[in-house]
Amino acid sequence: MDLFTLWLWPLVALIALPAILVYFGLHVVGRGIIFVDLALAQIAALGIATAVLLGAHPDHGGLPYALAIAFTLAGAALFSLTRFRHPRVPHEAIIGIIYIVAAAAATLVLSRTAAGDEEIKNLLVGNILLVSRSEVLRTLALYFAVGVFHLVLRRRFHLLSFDPEAAERQGMSVRLWDFLFYATFGIVVTSFVRIAGVYLVFSYLIVPAVCGALLSSRTAVRLAIGWGIALTGGVTGLVLSTQWQSMDLPTGPTIVCLFGVLLILSGATAYSRSRARPMAKPH
Amino acid sequence: MRTRFRIALALFATASLSSAAPVRAQLKVVATTSEYGALAAEIGGDRVAVTTIAKPTEDPHFVDARPSQIVAMNRADVLIEGGAELEIGWLPPLLDGARNSKILAGAPGRVVASEGVQLLDIPLAADRSQGDTHLAGNPHFMLDPPNAKIVVAHMARVFKALDPAGAATFDANVANFESRLDAKMKEWIAALAPFAGRQIVTYHPTWRYFGRRFGLEANTFLEPKPGIPPSPPHLAKVMEKMQVENIRVLLVEPYQPRKTAEAVAARNHAQVVEVCQFPGALPGTDTYLELIETVVKRIAQALAAQS
Repeated sequence: MDLFTLWLWPLVALIALPAILVYFGLHVVGRGIIFVDLALAQIAALGIATAVLLGAHPDHGGLPYALAIAFTLAGAALFSLTRFRHPRVPHEAIIGIIYIVAAAAATLVLSRTAAGDEEIKNLLVGNILLVSRSEVLRTLALYFAVGVFHLVLRRRFHLLSFDPEAAERQGMSVRLWDFLFYATFGIVVTSFVRIAGVYLVFSYLIVPAVCGALLSSRTAVRLAIGWGIALTGGVTGLVLSTQWQSMDLPTGPTIVCLFGVLLILSGATAYSRSRARPMAKPH
Repeated sequence: MRTRFRIALALFATASLSSAAPVRAQLKVVATTSEYGALAAEIGGDRVAVTTIAKPTEDPHFVDARPSQIVAMNRADVLIEGGAELEIGWLPPLLDGARNSKILAGAPGRVVASEGVQLLDIPLAADRSQGDTHLAGNPHFMLDPPNAKIVVAHMARVFKALDPAGAATFDANVANFESRLDAKMKEWIAALAPFAGRQIVTYHPTWRYFGRRFGLEANTFLEPKPGIPPSPPHLAKVMEKMQVENIRVLLVEPYQPRKTAEAVAARNHAQVVEVCQFPGALPGTDTYLELIETVVKRIAQALAAQS
């Protein structure tokens, strides 16, 4: 089967890379800021557009990449600064506004250059089928570093997301730690979008975490369930799109649709368990 | 019982014979866009099996990768691309993913159609100030039909090198194609001769070669620069030009925003004509010659109606 020859690196990418997204997804769902990944990807796009305005070629050279990272970090700072203890409006609203303003600003910046919207979009939106060995290994190394960072500091990040008041009481500088959270998150999201595209990044972030949250209340179990869902959806989607040749389904959207199915199954399972529980007789 | 057995045997035999693969292996040819696919099929006949990557209704500058395309490229003996940087946005990553040394640049199985073709609109400056597409020149040269002769010569040369036994067939197909093309060119030039010097507006500079060949001026575009979406100030300028110079025909291709073209046309009492540069998008355009025939007819009709 050509899965291990032609599609080897997409397969490796889909097995190894989403794990960290699921972890971040639990935090994102816990904080209720679902669209932050789209906002950060859009901010990175604004960075690349600015590089083009300054004369860089969007395809090569360090400036586009450097500005994408710089803008992502600036976005992270913006998100951490706008998270208020007693918000008058939900943080999600601020994030949505930042997203749309960044998108419109990118269009305005590009209108001053000779580049088109489509080309910038193409730079940001990858296709998982085309990922190369070096991209996968490089990104894996990056995610490993971020993963170790979050593993070591996991209690603090957990408190930050799920009980920020307690974090503050313990003397944590919430703004600083929030910035660290959004910055590492932004780097992970932007690099995954370049490999796999916007649909997949959003889905990997949210769906496995939601399935985990539906089926358990313990973080470790949620993580395990999320990883299982991510693995199942990703590998099945890749196999389906590459092996069902008469349909020739685009891989990204296939995986996303499978996630939809897995979510429905998780929801049904959670619902039937909650119905069944009152009837269980204690032994 | 014996009769039924005999019938079953006969059916089985027929089925196996009719599904038997050709004794000779066909050359697997992959073309980026469908005019090259159609021509490859004409020149190669049944000695080739042709797959085209981009759909005729797709914008050729941006094509998204699908599994079957990578598989086809992985197994291809020949890859035919337009060149002149038309496919530069999407072909290189596909080539990397396909991992097929037979079709890399310079390899025996690689055909670059634009080699030897005189390109228009080669930018003088090496920067991106004229837009971000067409940096090597205007790549839509297949709309000047005599250029097809250069391209089929490339195809025949490569097919003959990889399948020497088919040389006579390929040469015969080329000669046949060329004589049909020459005959059709006479008809087409006659059909558009009454409109010599007439101007048409197009969305993208696709029809420059067509205009130059057939005596039409196809030098006014809705895009301010190739690949850049129309901006209101630019559209205003175009509409003014249409008013002043009485331009009443506007060409739009399937993957271009029809609404913009229709809005411009409505303001100027002009007619929008749907055309395409690729065989297979419009009805009755399965081959290259049929495509040019359809396009010539539609444009001639519109120019006649808008006189």
